[in-house]
Amino acid sequence: MGADKVEIAINTVKIAIIFLMMIQMVPLLVWLERRGSAFIQNRFGPNRVGPLGLMQLLADAVKFITKEQFVPANAVKFLFLAAPVIALVPAALAFAAIPLATPIHIDPFHLLGQSWGPYTIEMQSVRMNVGIIYILGVSSLGAYGLLIAGWASGNKYSLLGAIRASAQMISYELALGLAIVGILMIYGTFDLNKMIEMQQGPFSFQFMGQAYEISWLPNWGIFFQPLGALLFFIATFAESNRLPFDLPESEGELVAGFHTEYGGFKMLMFFMGEYGHMMVGAGLVTTFYLGGFQSPFVWQTYDYMLNLAIAHHGPGTVASALTTGYFLIWFSIKVGLLLWVFIWVRWTLPRFRYDTLMDLGWKTLLPWTLGNVALTAIVLYWARAM
Amino acid sequence: MSNALHVGLNHYLVVSSLLFMIGVAGVLVRKNVIVILMSIELMLNAVNLSFAAFSHFNQEPGGQVMVFFVMAIAAAEAAIGLAIAVAVYRKFNGIEIKLFENLKG
Amino acid sequence: MGSYDVIFYILSIVSLGAALGVIFFPSPIYSALMLAITMSGLAAMFFTLEAYFLAGVQLIVYAGAVVVLFVMVLMLFDLRKESQPFSGQKISNFFKAGIIAAASMALIIPLSTVFFIRTEKTKPVTTVDLAGTLFTKYVFAFEAIGILLLVVLVGALALAKSRGGTHE
Repeated sequence: MGADKVEIAINTVKIAIIFLMMIQMVPLLVWLERRGSAFIQNRFGPNRVGPLGLMQLLADAVKFITKEQFVPANAVKFLFLAAPVIALVPAALAFAAIPLATPIHIDPFHLLGQSWGPYTIEMQSVRMNVGIIYILGVSSLGAYGLLIAGWASGNKYSLLGAIRASAQMISYELALGLAIVGILMIYGTFDLNKMIEMQQGPFSFQFMGQAYEISWLPNWGIFFQPLGALLFFIATFAESNRLPFDLPESEGELVAGFHTEYGGFKMLMFFMGEYGHMMVGAGLVTTFYLGGFQSPFVWQTYDYMLNLAIAHHGPGTVASALTTGYFLIWFSIKVGLLLWVFIWVRWTLPRFRYDTLMDLGWKTLLPWTLGNVALTAIVLYWARAM
Repeated sequence: MSNALHVGLNHYLVVSSLLFMIGVAGVLVRKNVIVILMSIELMLNAVNLSFAAFSHFNQEPGGQVMVFFVMAIAAAEAAIGLAIAVAVYRKFNGIEIKLFENLKG
Repeated sequence: MGSYDVIFYILSIVSLGAALGVIFFPSPIYSALMLAITMSGLAAMFFTLEAYFLAGVQLIVYAGAVVVLFVMVLMLFDLRKESQPFSGQKISNFFKAGIIAAASMALIIPLSTVFFIRTEKTKPVTTVDLAGTLFTKYVFAFEAIGILLLVVLVGALALAKSRGGTHE
């Protein structure tokens, strides 16, 4: 099975589709955020345009696009215009490496008098064996968009916001990286797909030479690493600059922080970057700690679903695609729930003060993650040595 | 001709040495202390590239371990260098390398 | 030329071009952003060398932390443009640098063709190999680096806290 032109074309289109999917989630999330905040605060929220206010998204998009493209007199023009794009890139690149579902196997078929070989389409943009390292590396570039935006605006509030943002992102990246060391030690791989495979089946582990199995719990990372999962989730909040960590744009002190001078579509691109980071964070939590796209309580999921689909549609492309769709739905459910938690937290908790934010990062999260690493190492040593 | 263009260890070494030279030139010609620090980072990176290339073409993990150490030292050097630059800026309101003449130990 | 070679040439042109940008842009902010591009290009080169862990660490440590630190400090100083970015005897220094570069290249290129060390590919160095070597053969150096980082941490804090002069 060589990679022929059709396969390359399919994969290119797939990469574009996954990127557009991510972008298309943004208006939906904005709607969810506004309706959700209204629900939490006992208001109505946008409910005039279309059913449940869903058409508000389109109205907003039209408004964003038709606004005047404005560059302040004090700004550095090139960097000012480049910053929103730079802010969008890291999230999009990171999202590319997250596996969304099992691959679709397309059987050989005849079309236009030619036979087309069997294809396998991975449900992720790039499958790589060092997915975690790649995602951490790429998302560490996220600080540049905010820094450049703040500096190029030529506004002191923007600059203060940008400097806060970069200091915060560097500080919390440490906790983010160390929080997943525990899960890495348990799975012993950087490959996200392998990691998901290992989370199949009921909760089972080996301890002191004996195998234990708890049949009513799925074999998810969160049960091995509850502390790590919590710390990682907190750090993703800080990485995506969401409340309670939205010091870079705290409107009470800094007007709107790094994007004070931005309006219209440029502002929307910062939004996309922020929601993209949220989606990457939710996807990573799902992959590391919640079993990825696997469904709970149906053990041996992949074979089971495939056989079910084959029983109804016969073996072939359709069965494979149905199975993929099933897993994609589970992935979406998990990510959707986590995104709702992001929104829920935003409208529930107040913002940190800047010194308490740094205290939390350096004096609380960092020691706890280090402790988690040490504890995991000791337990693994005992459990595996016996 | 096609053989010479085929990428091997030598190509990486040439890129590495060019990068090192650019770093040296930066240290020689710039006045701003921070840009000089950046040029030093360029030199360290050039060395890293050659270490990684040797490691790859000799199947020897030692080279990659060295890159690891160089990175740690480079990060430390940047942190200290920037701290000194900030202190000098506070004192003299500028960060030209010439201002360091005024330091007395 | 295979795709591997094309990727190598593109990456090396990007990295070297950005490195030239570092030393030739008069505004230090642009220099720092160019440095970030150089670091990212080198990270991609580590990828082509199958040093995946190093590529990630290069992105996280250099592009994600060290250069961000540079940019942050420069933004705090707010140096829009330097009046005289290059040192006084600009021509002579460039001349010296050029001579050193030419001499070194004249030395390196023939040497590298004489000692052509390309061995047959067996298997790449994996991250597991790297970790094994790091924590067995080089464990003392690893500990020493840890102590160095601690000392640097204390030193940087002391420098940042000092108000200048003798303070009571």
